[in-house]
Amino acid sequence: MENILSVLVFFPLVAAILGFLVGKKSIRVYGISVATIEFLLTLWLWFAFDNSNGGFQFIEYIPLVSEFGINYYLGVDGISLFIVIMAALMTLVGIIALNVKKDLKNMIITLLFLEVAMIGVFVSLDAIVFYLFWEFSLVPMLYIIGAWGGELRLYAAIKFFLYTFAGSLVMLVGMLYMAYVYHSVSGVWSFAITDWYALVLPLSIQKWLFWAFFLGFAIKVPMFPFHTWLPYAHGQAPTVGSVILAAVLLKMGSYGFVRFSLPMFPDASVAYITPVAIIAIIMIIYTAMVAYAQKDMKQVIAYSSISHMGVIVLGTFAMNAEGISGSIFQMLSHGIVSGALFLLVGVIYDRRHTKLMSEFGGLALVMPKYALIFGIMMMASVGLPLTIGFIGEYLSLAGFFKISPMLTLLAGTSIILGAIYMLSLYKRSFFGPVTNEANAKLPDLDSKELTALVPLVALVVWLGVYPKPVLGPIDNSVKALVTFMHEKAQTSEAKSVIVVSKRTKEAK
Amino acid sequence: METLVYTALFAPLVGSLFAALFAMSPKRQMTGVVTSILLFVSFFSSAKVLMHVVEHGEVHIKLMDWIVAGDMYIPFGFNVDAVSAVMMTVVTLVSMVVHIYSNGYMEHDRSFNRFFSYLSAFVFSMMVLVMSDNFLGLFIGWEGVGVCSWLLIGFWYHKEDVGRDVNPSISPSWAANEAFIMNRIADLGMLVGIFLIYWNVGSLQYDKVFEVVPGLDHGLLVMIGIFLFIGAMGKSAQFPMHTWLADAMEGPTPVSALIHAATMVTAGVYLVIRANPLYELIPEVSYFIASLGTFVAIFAASMALVNRDLKRIIAYSTLSQLGYMFAAAGLGAYWVALFHLAAHAFFKALLFLGAGNVMHAMHDELDIFKMGGLKKVMKWTYIYMGVASLALCGIWPLAGFYSKDTILEVAFNEHTYIIWFILWLTAGMTAFYSFRLVFIAFWGDERYKKLGFHPHEVQNYVLWGMLPLGILAVVFGWHKESFMEFVTEMLPAYEMSEHTHHMVATLTVATTLIALGGILLAFRLYSVRLRRDEKVEKSKIYKVLSNQYYIPIFYKNTFSEPYAKLSEIAWKEVDMQVVDATVDGIANIIEESGDAARQAQSGNLSDYLRWIAIGAIALAVLALFAALKS
Repeated sequence: MENILSVLVFFPLVAAILGFLVGKKSIRVYGISVATIEFLLTLWLWFAFDNSNGGFQFIEYIPLVSEFGINYYLGVDGISLFIVIMAALMTLVGIIALNVKKDLKNMIITLLFLEVAMIGVFVSLDAIVFYLFWEFSLVPMLYIIGAWGGELRLYAAIKFFLYTFAGSLVMLVGMLYMAYVYHSVSGVWSFAITDWYALVLPLSIQKWLFWAFFLGFAIKVPMFPFHTWLPYAHGQAPTVGSVILAAVLLKMGSYGFVRFSLPMFPDASVAYITPVAIIAIIMIIYTAMVAYAQKDMKQVIAYSSISHMGVIVLGTFAMNAEGISGSIFQMLSHGIVSGALFLLVGVIYDRRHTKLMSEFGGLALVMPKYALIFGIMMMASVGLPLTIGFIGEYLSLAGFFKISPMLTLLAGTSIILGAIYMLSLYKRSFFGPVTNEANAKLPDLDSKELTALVPLVALVVWLGVYPKPVLGPIDNSVKALVTFMHEKAQTSEAKSVIVVSKRTKEAK
Repeated sequence: METLVYTALFAPLVGSLFAALFAMSPKRQMTGVVTSILLFVSFFSSAKVLMHVVEHGEVHIKLMDWIVAGDMYIPFGFNVDAVSAVMMTVVTLVSMVVHIYSNGYMEHDRSFNRFFSYLSAFVFSMMVLVMSDNFLGLFIGWEGVGVCSWLLIGFWYHKEDVGRDVNPSISPSWAANEAFIMNRIADLGMLVGIFLIYWNVGSLQYDKVFEVVPGLDHGLLVMIGIFLFIGAMGKSAQFPMHTWLADAMEGPTPVSALIHAATMVTAGVYLVIRANPLYELIPEVSYFIASLGTFVAIFAASMALVNRDLKRIIAYSTLSQLGYMFAAAGLGAYWVALFHLAAHAFFKALLFLGAGNVMHAMHDELDIFKMGGLKKVMKWTYIYMGVASLALCGIWPLAGFYSKDTILEVAFNEHTYIIWFILWLTAGMTAFYSFRLVFIAFWGDERYKKLGFHPHEVQNYVLWGMLPLGILAVVFGWHKESFMEFVTEMLPAYEMSEHTHHMVATLTVATTLIALGGILLAFRLYSVRLRRDEKVEKSKIYKVLSNQYYIPIFYKNTFSEPYAKLSEIAWKEVDMQVVDATVDGIANIIEESGDAARQAQSGNLSDYLRWIAIGAIALAVLALFAALKS
């Protein structure tokens, strides 16, 4: 299957359109089948993927607007491969666990459209195609929050849309300017990311472009102080919306740093390590504190997402293979773990129609299975070794330690502060006596919820114990990326900060 | 040999997973029996491995790769040398006894199966901790025992939070969280130590690290030593991170015996012993470790003097003995520290299990003032606890005599007389509070009768199960010489100077005298009846001690409450009022300016004309300026 990437992008699209024709009764089965097939296709992509090759694979190239160098140009490498798989997995899990009574059909079709956008973003190698998918992803999410959300859903949906849209516009300007520079240097138009990689820019231009892209990515991540749309979006979104938002949509921002900022502007990236790291550390510490102050279980998870994304950003700017591989692994880990945590909050919300921790207490007595899975996910979230959460966090911090031990020490407080807000959430909700009558007879997880959650638990443990199948390909591509950045870097500062790992050197 | 090592390591894991299968179903005796048998298998294999190491030297095996990224290469590798083999044997032996004991102790608990699952999981983590051949592998075990400790302290999670005056630990789940979070603070220190090693050595494997260490910059080694020790301070509950250990007594008593006395809390000591090639090079840090250990020894002992809580007294005594171990390790006598660690594991676990019997008999009453005269009804428990206490006090010929006495000799030999004096004094305090407990609980008038308790001895098999610990608490010390020969293959041999050799007899007599003095004092005060002195109990110093020097309150006022307040402010004042309000403010400005601009499109022709005129004038002015400029 040479066109596997196109299949991955267009299969859900076709299925979504055909979904309008499917009857209401069979729509759930239809949605699950489509998402399963898509997920299996992404797995096939993994098996067909050449692990030893750090470059782009399964490349597809069809000229669209040749005069302006805009092409249908797709490919994956170790960096994007697993995010694609995770996007398909979380969509599948989200659909399985779906528990909306209203307009189930529309919801499933919307989710399939969203899947198109998500996969598209991560496989695009053309900036314009990337941008199209990037913006397109806003629409289904806007609809999901706006149509199925809570009381403030319209405010939250519009805030989410306008805020991220504003950021993307600045990014678009950056892209156009990049293409313009490319044109003025080479004489031809091109929006191909790989072409842009080859372009060596003077530091002064890199700096401007860096911030233009940065704003787009930072709002998406979301980085402090652009994060306030997220608590609203999570607060109002239905469970599945939060799952996808936390698991995949936020990763678009952090992926952008790896795909665009680092290889295109290596000198500027190195020059701005300190301000970016300070923002990341504010995210880690400040949002962890805000998370601790929350009364609403879902808001704790929402703020904790921002805190974890801080670690990811920090790892990305470590400029060595340890940190960047760790940060990409952490994207997957955070996707799975926060997705699962949002599903779990959804479970209790379905039963009690509240997410306030003060309403609960003693849930471990009433719902032991629920408490167990929540406990495992919590431990993964606080980064316990042998769960998926440890590896990425450890590598990210270890990588950044090379840049600045002091800042890493500050960022490392995430392992303490994370434990504080998660354990206190767990204590408030699950421990103690059952004080609220309404909780006394809550049913434990049903088979549908278990089907959605148990695979995630398995993944959390499997990739925590044996991350090699995933970490290996990631690391290969990251090493190639770091080597490339090192060669491309012009300033002596960047040359010395970007560390090519010894094994890459020996291999040569 | 590989098979034996893996059996020793994985048997507890298999047991844990097996018990976990029934975690949510009602009690099944089978889970207790199966996990206990698997622990025996693990112990048997550990002992065989120990024999093998004695004869053929260390075993090094690699299971598989774990983290491989950049130049970071971390395998699941296991290295069984003399130190690990001793630790493995001690851990599995005590664990086995505790498993057997728990069959009786947890008999009526509805979460019987879950308990055994956690307990075996703990043993597995502890085995990973002591067997790993690299720092990150150790860290897996390190965090693993932390989680198991969290699960087990909070085992009775359904209990409600109560005020500090009712229960100083507030509630099991509170104590569990405190332990976990405090350990996490220390773990950050340890992680930083690991990062420092990685970026300066390029590997985390013990053999590589210790090979390179002598060539590294001294200042760097000091940093590494300090950060690793911060990790050790958390796990071994050294001041100022000691408060969690006493609160950890909220867990079921077998847990206190295994985790919070015999094994997990000694992990910090193990780390210092393991990293001895590093600490040998940084005497200033080692000296700090010894001083802190000495301080903790007397500090903890002082709190034990006045406490009325059966388990807390033993917990403080554990803390105090950990101080002794650190003192020995800090002074360079690593093998002595390890020897005391092993001896302490046996007699302290025995003491705790005995306390468990008492609690069982007294329906979970912990106040020793409500007991008295128990030796009549609980003869065997009394004998066990008596033997364990004698061992703890360091009375010849029991285990503690050999290990503790050697530590004091080391302190003397190093000419650190202050350390020696404090440790000597602490030995007297130890004897006093240990026998205060024994006499108040087991001798004197039977105060429990008035309170309506009907204590009875525990099941026979539980008493038999405790026998190995009882025997070891007596005989372990007799093997000091062979122990030393064995472990000094790995650890630096510690030689006493000529001068000390001459003094040994005097020192021993001095130590024994103060211990006997302590016992005698306790005998005089408490053997006949509980003698309480109002004046003493109302005195300031008594209050300070019984309130743990007000440190828990201080932590609450200085850290937890301000953190909660600051978090509130960060959320409500900063995030909502500043950050988000700015975003909405910008949006509102755009909206309002749009609103205002909309007025311009009123549809009124004369308005439009006016605007055109204004525009034309503005353009003309601009053109004029441009013309003037050029």
